[in-house]
Amino acid sequence: MESQQIADNAAAVLAFDAVGKAYAAPSGEQRHVLHDVSFAAPAGRRIAIVGRSGSGKSTLLHLAAGIDVPTRGDVRVMGRSLAEMSETARTTLRRDHVGLVFQFFYLMPHLSVHDNVALPALIAGDKPRQFEPRVAQLLDRVGLSDRAHERVQKLSGGEMQRVAICRALLRRPHLLLADEPTGNLDDENGWRVMELMLSLVAEEGGTLIFVTHSREVSGLADEVWRLHSGVLSPHAEAEAPAAPQPS
Amino acid sequence: MMRRYFVTAMAAHLRTGGSLYLLTILGVALGVAAVLSIQIINRNAIAAFAGSVKAVSGEAALSVLGYTPSFPEDLYPRVLSTPGVQAAWPLWRAAVALSGRDDGMLDLIGVDFFTPVDIPWQGEPGDPAAALSQPGWVALTPLLAEQMGWRVGDAFTVSRGSRLVRLTVGALVDFHALNPLASPKLAVMDIAQAQSLFGDAGAIHQIDIKLAAGADTAAMRTRLQEHLGPAVRVVTPEQREAQAKGLLSAFQLNLTALSLISLFVGVFLVYSSTQAALVRRREEFGLLRSLGATRRQVFALIITEVGLLGGLGAALGLPLGYGVAQANVRVVSATLSNLYLLEEIARLEMTTWLYALGIVIGVGGAVVGALLPALDMARRDTRALLSAFTLHETVGSLALRLFALGVALPLTAAVWYGLHGRHWQHAGFVLAVVLLFTLPLLTPLLVRELCARIRVRGFGLGYSLKGLGVRLQTTSVAVASLAVAVSMLIGITLMIGSFRQTLSVWIGTSIQADVYIAPASWRGTGSDGGLEPHVMATATSHPAVQAVDRLRRFHGYTGGRRISISGVEMDLAPGRSRFPFLPGALPNPYGAMRERRGVFVGETLARKAGVWVGDTLPIHTPIGVQRFPIAAVYYDYSAGDGAAAMDLRTMTQAFGPGPVSSTALYLRPGTDVAAVVEELQAALPDAPLEIRSNRRLREEVLAIFDQTFAITRLLQFMSLLIAVCGIALMLLVLAREQVSELALCRSLGARGRQLFGVFVGKGLSMGVMGLALGSVGGVLLAGLLIYVINRAYFGWTIQPYVDWGLIAQQAATILGAAVLASLYPALRARQTSAVALSRDDL
Repeated sequence: MESQQIADNAAAVLAFDAVGKAYAAPSGEQRHVLHDVSFAAPAGRRIAIVGRSGSGKSTLLHLAAGIDVPTRGDVRVMGRSLAEMSETARTTLRRDHVGLVFQFFYLMPHLSVHDNVALPALIAGDKPRQFEPRVAQLLDRVGLSDRAHERVQKLSGGEMQRVAICRALLRRPHLLLADEPTGNLDDENGWRVMELMLSLVAEEGGTLIFVTHSREVSGLADEVWRLHSGVLSPHAEAEAPAAPQPS
Repeated sequence: MMRRYFVTAMAAHLRTGGSLYLLTILGVALGVAAVLSIQIINRNAIAAFAGSVKAVSGEAALSVLGYTPSFPEDLYPRVLSTPGVQAAWPLWRAAVALSGRDDGMLDLIGVDFFTPVDIPWQGEPGDPAAALSQPGWVALTPLLAEQMGWRVGDAFTVSRGSRLVRLTVGALVDFHALNPLASPKLAVMDIAQAQSLFGDAGAIHQIDIKLAAGADTAAMRTRLQEHLGPAVRVVTPEQREAQAKGLLSAFQLNLTALSLISLFVGVFLVYSSTQAALVRRREEFGLLRSLGATRRQVFALIITEVGLLGGLGAALGLPLGYGVAQANVRVVSATLSNLYLLEEIARLEMTTWLYALGIVIGVGGAVVGALLPALDMARRDTRALLSAFTLHETVGSLALRLFALGVALPLTAAVWYGLHGRHWQHAGFVLAVVLLFTLPLLTPLLVRELCARIRVRGFGLGYSLKGLGVRLQTTSVAVASLAVAVSMLIGITLMIGSFRQTLSVWIGTSIQADVYIAPASWRGTGSDGGLEPHVMATATSHPAVQAVDRLRRFHGYTGGRRISISGVEMDLAPGRSRFPFLPGALPNPYGAMRERRGVFVGETLARKAGVWVGDTLPIHTPIGVQRFPIAAVYYDYSAGDGAAAMDLRTMTQAFGPGPVSSTALYLRPGTDVAAVVEELQAALPDAPLEIRSNRRLREEVLAIFDQTFAITRLLQFMSLLIAVCGIALMLLVLAREQVSELALCRSLGARGRQLFGVFVGKGLSMGVMGLALGSVGGVLLAGLLIYVINRAYFGWTIQPYVDWGLIAQQAATILGAAVLASLYPALRARQTSAVALSRDDL
């Protein structure tokens, strides 16, 4: 059983192995945010992580993205242990294999829609002929082709999040991490964005891990995990979503 | 409560944001130092003159001075016989050169020890009998004696003109006891001995007068003037000081204006640092307001804090300014004595007024710089302060209006200048100020539009530049302050370069003889000593000499202006003309001048006195004012009130015979000039003469020119340094403000070194924008300096000239400095972690 688990973890796009994370509080005391978290995300799976505010969801995503490092245990992305990697190597891994979608979109206000989407390719030093068709394809896919050269401040919240999703998918990441992607949108827009993201990930064949408060949204996942006080456990009540009807 | 809060909060902010505060203090300190150093030198230059007047003339209420270098001593009994004069004493004065010392001059004063002149003897008072009987007896200041290593009884040699005189230290006389700013180079000896030893029998230079108790000074001045006739002028010490101030006013005003540009750039720096600090602390102010603090209290809190920083800047700027003044006093002092024939500045005194000025500039400049951000912050409502917001939109929305104002302002100024301003001497400075205010007004829109047009093709320079467009409040101020500093740098560089080139061409026309001979004492304060006949005979009898051009020069007066009057050989072959004429000269000006007993007038004098060809120039002569027809106006680059030249025979007729001040020798073609110089030096081995080749004289003139602008270059450097501090400050602010943006880039896979590169790129971009805008401003400023300001104050015609190599060197320095300034902020940016993402800032 254990050997099967190890084999699964090795094949997984993302694997947490007994991961713990603690921060030093201002008082000097250690504040434990995650306890002994273990799970694996195989290729092509859609996993939702639910939990209350402060349960450690964002920390878990930061660890998964290699933005932060665990205090205990190990995180593996594409079979590579992040603990053994330098900060630069983790950054490169994130740049080449991980996509991130945030609750607050985090778009660059001084860049156009097109340039925001292209940003990861610019950072990676890709040549325009490599990424321009992809940018056009993604914008077309999310219905923003005609707004490619507008400043992002002119977009609605739902449109901003669509831009952020395009940006996250630009370099065809194996792993897409989304932190409350609908948390800053109304129900209708949230639902549309979620559908779009899921279909895009499905088309790309990537693995999606998303954090959400919403039971409806979590119902779109293949599996749901619940994070409570830093402890991750399978959620028993994954249920079918009650989708709002688009007007 | 607020006071205690103020102290606690400021201490906390100093701990966390030390670099911002440090740059603010540095900016203020440099601004204060720039202005203060110039004020220290300016004030002490006048004080040195006044100090020496006070030390020599003591309690004299009036002095009689000549309109020509000296006047006959028979005027002295006429002074004494004037009712209301209690006492009077004649003075003989000359600047003599200390033999064997290139820069050693002595202000020798011949006094009558039997008159009630107040001489501050040190130690044993001078023995009148020895002073009269011992040949060459002279009393020196203790400071000079110490500097030269002389004691009482030691002998030394001085020269006036080509005459060498041996003097003996007879006593010490401490003029500093009378006035601490008096020149240490003052020396006294018996007047009769002085006249005899220096070949000046019967001539004196000054009569000091003490009035009877109750006599009205103004009335006495009028009475004496009438009594003594037109050959002399009767002046009060205040009038003498006012004349010195008048001579220096243009020089001092220009230096003051340059130093104020540094302060202007410093105020920008305070503005932007305050802005940055306040943006960072908006929640703090929101909380204070929500807890009941009034707008006024918030405003007072900010202004007090900035005022305190300004005070710290002033505290640093005061010693820095004094240091800068001390380091430059020698060159400025040399300029004053070379160009304006005034006393050298012996020591610098920091008066209470100067301390107060430094503090007022520091605190006032800081408060002015912080005023707008503080008002803006105090005006905002509590809710806005507590919510996530950015001030950048304010400038963004104002950019177009500021630009419109930036266009309207210079246009209005140009119209004003065309209609009225050009008749006003200071109009050029108004235009320069308008120009320097215009640049910051144009900057926000230009930066925004430029950045908006940039296409991002990679995570490099284009990306860096693009990001600057949205942080207008921060970036446009940094770019504007750099543009102002660059304008000053480029503008003054172009002006100095043009001036130097013009002067070089002018020298080519004016200095045509092969060999120049002048007495060593002539380098100083316009001594009226000259070349003795035997020296002239030896020099002109050299077999290689083809033609001789004798020059007799002294300082005279036209109206109230002190001018240099030259008598030259006007009948040299026309090809040997020393006068490059402005258009409009009479046909055959040399002939016309000789026939009509006319003069050539220097451009400076022509413009200042408002005279031109066809007019006459009134000049004070020993027999009263004589009018000389102006035959031509020539290009002239002398300082002060200008110059006029006439034929030597005309000069002798008008002023009487006098010594030749210097001579120029034209050698036969093909002669080895260096060999002739050596032969003349060998033929006149002991004569205190400067025998120079044409080439060496040209080099020396240009060396004096460069020395004159040394202080200007220092001010340029200080201004640029402040602007570079501004870039560092802005990038630090950006590194703080853009933490989330940087963190996002990190989360998208950007490496630390890429962020480092982006920030260096931002610094470089700001440098490029500041350079581009500043270059335009610099060219316009150079135009103002060359065509308006210099003409108005000095009356010089300067031909524009661009030294591209120098400009390229300066551009590279500016960009290099901008990159250097961005290194530390870039290191800070490099350390940003992806976990620092905050929803407030994106």
